[in-house]
Amino acid sequence: MRPVGIIANPASGKDIRRLVAFGSVFDNHEKVNIVRRVLLGLDSMGVQDVRIMPDFFGIGPRALDDLDLSLKVSYLDIPLEGTQEDSTRAAKALSDLGAACIVTLGGDGTNRAVAKACGEVPLLPISTGTNNVFPFMVEGTLAGIAAGVAALDSSSPRSFIDRAPRLEIRRGSELVDIALVDVVVSNPGFIASRAVWDVSTIHEIFLTRAEPGTIGFSSVGANVCALPANSGKGVHITIGDGGQKVKAPIAPGLIRWVSVASYRVFEPAEPIPVSYTPSVIALDGERELIVSKGDRLTIHLAPKGPRVVDIARALRQASELCLFLQPQA
Amino acid sequence: MREITYLEAVREALRQEMKLDENVFILGEDVGRFGGCFGVTAGLFDEFGKDRVMDTPISEAAIMGTALGAALMGLRPVPEIMFIDFTTVCFDYLTNQAPKVRYMCGGQVEKLPLVVRTTSGGWIRAAGQHSQSLEGWFTQVPGLKVVMPSTPYDAKGLLTAALRDNNPVLYIEHKVLYATKGPVPEDGYVIPLGKADVKKDGTDVTLISYSLMLQKTLAAAERLAKDGISAEVVDLRTLSPLDHATLAQSVRKTHRAVVIQEAYESAGVASQVVKSLVDSSFDHLDAPIKTVAAPDTVIPFSPPLEDAMLPSEDKIVRAVKEVMGCGVGAGLKPAPTPQG
Amino acid sequence: MDLPKADLLQMYKKMVTIREFEESLAEAVAGGTLPGFVHLGVGQEAVMVGVAAPLRPTDWISGTHREHGMMIARGADMGPMRAEIFGKATGYCKGKGGSMHLAVYEKCAPGCNGILGPNQTINNGIALALKRRGKGDIAVVLFGDGASHRGEFHEALNLASIWKLPAMAICVNNQYGISGCVDDVCAVEDISARAAGYGMPGLTVDGCDVMAVYEAVSETAKSIRAGKGPALLELKTSRWRGHFEGDPQSYRPPQEMEETRRRDPIARFAKQLLDQGMAKEAELQKLRDEAKRELQAAIEFTDKSGYPPEEEIYTDLVYAEGRSVR
Repeated sequence: MRPVGIIANPASGKDIRRLVAFGSVFDNHEKVNIVRRVLLGLDSMGVQDVRIMPDFFGIGPRALDDLDLSLKVSYLDIPLEGTQEDSTRAAKALSDLGAACIVTLGGDGTNRAVAKACGEVPLLPISTGTNNVFPFMVEGTLAGIAAGVAALDSSSPRSFIDRAPRLEIRRGSELVDIALVDVVVSNPGFIASRAVWDVSTIHEIFLTRAEPGTIGFSSVGANVCALPANSGKGVHITIGDGGQKVKAPIAPGLIRWVSVASYRVFEPAEPIPVSYTPSVIALDGERELIVSKGDRLTIHLAPKGPRVVDIARALRQASELCLFLQPQA
Repeated sequence: MREITYLEAVREALRQEMKLDENVFILGEDVGRFGGCFGVTAGLFDEFGKDRVMDTPISEAAIMGTALGAALMGLRPVPEIMFIDFTTVCFDYLTNQAPKVRYMCGGQVEKLPLVVRTTSGGWIRAAGQHSQSLEGWFTQVPGLKVVMPSTPYDAKGLLTAALRDNNPVLYIEHKVLYATKGPVPEDGYVIPLGKADVKKDGTDVTLISYSLMLQKTLAAAERLAKDGISAEVVDLRTLSPLDHATLAQSVRKTHRAVVIQEAYESAGVASQVVKSLVDSSFDHLDAPIKTVAAPDTVIPFSPPLEDAMLPSEDKIVRAVKEVMGCGVGAGLKPAPTPQG
Repeated sequence: MDLPKADLLQMYKKMVTIREFEESLAEAVAGGTLPGFVHLGVGQEAVMVGVAAPLRPTDWISGTHREHGMMIARGADMGPMRAEIFGKATGYCKGKGGSMHLAVYEKCAPGCNGILGPNQTINNGIALALKRRGKGDIAVVLFGDGASHRGEFHEALNLASIWKLPAMAICVNNQYGISGCVDDVCAVEDISARAAGYGMPGLTVDGCDVMAVYEAVSETAKSIRAGKGPALLELKTSRWRGHFEGDPQSYRPPQEMEETRRRDPIARFAKQLLDQGMAKEAELQKLRDEAKRELQAAIEFTDKSGYPPEEEIYTDLVYAEGRSVR
């Protein structure tokens, strides 16, 4: 049985969206509880080897405190900087180890950092961040069980693992960065607090999905052209005066009118240039890239993003395999 | 003149000043709707509202800090610390903070109008942590005035003066005095801080005291008069700064002095009064100065023990007779009665 | 958040000025000419400038002992500041307060407090008065990670919350309270988490990024002015020099010091300005030169100034007359 990885981001849930929006405070102690439940779920499925990303808060050691498990937990040997690069390094390490699955705790940003380096290792993302379009609101125990199912040699992963798309930001042929849900181009400025909440500064939005029922900038797209996740297409929206006004929940508790000047569904074969420069580009809800005037970046929809475990289907398959039943003597 | 209680006199001073100046406001635990644990602020919440009589959580440090900050900004806060025993949890504000602000900023702040009201004293069977007289600690803080009235008349006048003073003042009310009655003018009036008061004229010995002990001293003086001893009773009223001139004037007349305080005997106000008299009037003294104070021990709960520990009229009378019976001219007076 | 170039350059200049000022004090300590103790904020310039820049001149701001930089950022003159630190009569406090009690009330800055804790509750009183004045001004108080374990942190936040005071509590988390590392002395990873216990928002911000600090303080101030109640900000940063100047910092691992310098907030801001075409290297150099010249003037001012006369021992106290019979 291959190892299972856990990457829990201690930094999510305390940024400026606690103030400018009504972002939940996702206490690190709650993350410890979730990791405990994940570990118990994994243990129940007979997983033996769990690798956890270390962090300054010590989510792993705290989760293990007072827990009686058969499985063995060890920590990834990676340098820690207390930034999102830690998550990317952890994902690379788990990919190199040939892990069966990576359980993540975080929001879109955390999963983006993991997706940069997880390769073919499927993700099981548990939502604990602010903008949570990509990860699932799922109870930790079930997530642990489902991750355990993915680690079993006896299961057939193809039946419950999907491929999510990603947006790629390229400069010519060079890959600059990726996003799993949205790319937002706004007025030039500083990275500063990273979050984006002022719609008057936004010019363009690129989305991998646009379903009603999500929070964040993908909700803007949801109301002009519904595009389900994994549809194989993306949406490009330009913002401008005189367009269709859309009421969108762009952050927890923050519902704003956004003026959509135009929108277009695009395919993987159609790279779209970033027309507005100079600018700041936010990836999955966080400002990341500073674009100088004349910098020629293009946005590509890549169908081959991270693999993601569908929890319901994983549990159904486990049930069909009678994995939850004790064998009769 | 009408007579009201010490408690009513305190309330009247507060009420009259709050009507005169909208910057005056009260803050403390249970001061608002409840009217204060002893009932001092009863009725003020209804009359002035929650922004002038502010209920706080059990947070003495926050009460004092908030008051200090408000005083810096030109408001005139009157924070209440329920028992002087609790000043320990906000000691910093009464020592390192409020009294030093003006000095340490080189006078950039011209005034810090802060009147801290608190209660002190025993005889209420509340034991070691709710019965103390801790005024002595605060008289050693440069920059802080300490006031302890003994009568309803003094209570209203001194509090009014404190509320109009532009400096930090610690104003201490004895719990047992709350129920005592006395004549108090209806209009507002001021008794200057820093001025002692001769409550009773006399020729043979000066008895110096304050707060509840002052009342016991007056009672002792009546008993002593029957024994032919004419005692002059001086009420300090303000403990810091001391009124050295009044003390000197009295002792230069009587040549003998006894200082009476309820507080533990070591290093308190009485010791400072002795120093003052030694500095100003040593050559006028016919006998060593005696002090009457509580012993340096913890105030016990058991009522007979508490009564035996705290200074009493008997102890005052005995001390005076000892002083009268020694030193120059001692032989001219009747010998002191043995222990009784 | 769209700041004009002139403002950004001013912020850069202030950061450089603070560093020069603090480092000149370090030299004085090494040379044995500075009396007493100073607590230098080298490395924390993004905190000082990022906090002061978005505030109104009528907002009030105070701190504890590492506040020279905050006072400079607030607009205090280096001359009377340095004179105060050297105990000269021309100091802001006539030489009677010194580094730990520096105050410039005309800039609405009660400034420094030598005791950790009381400034947090005092800030509530200032906020209460500002609320009554009704002009939307706010009261900002800075304190360190160490001070957040004092009782007053809790009393102040609780009271500010229930009375909805226009108070901004800023915890400058430089990871150390003298030698006490947050890992050992703090029950939570992020001090902002404590805000939840007092019913107010708590943010953690990168205190080495001046624009992140600026943005957070600006948005928080906006929220408080709008009547939404107090907030707790935590600015994570690192101090380069000891707790007090002269502290050898043997309690900090050497690689941590390297890591700290790599996150130099001044170099970082300069790079941001240059990369985004907001300034040219020559402009930044000109500002650095100006800062050096202004510091030199302050040093000369201090050196020329005399000490206060003995009478000052007895002035600025409650009673003009002495208390004892002299």
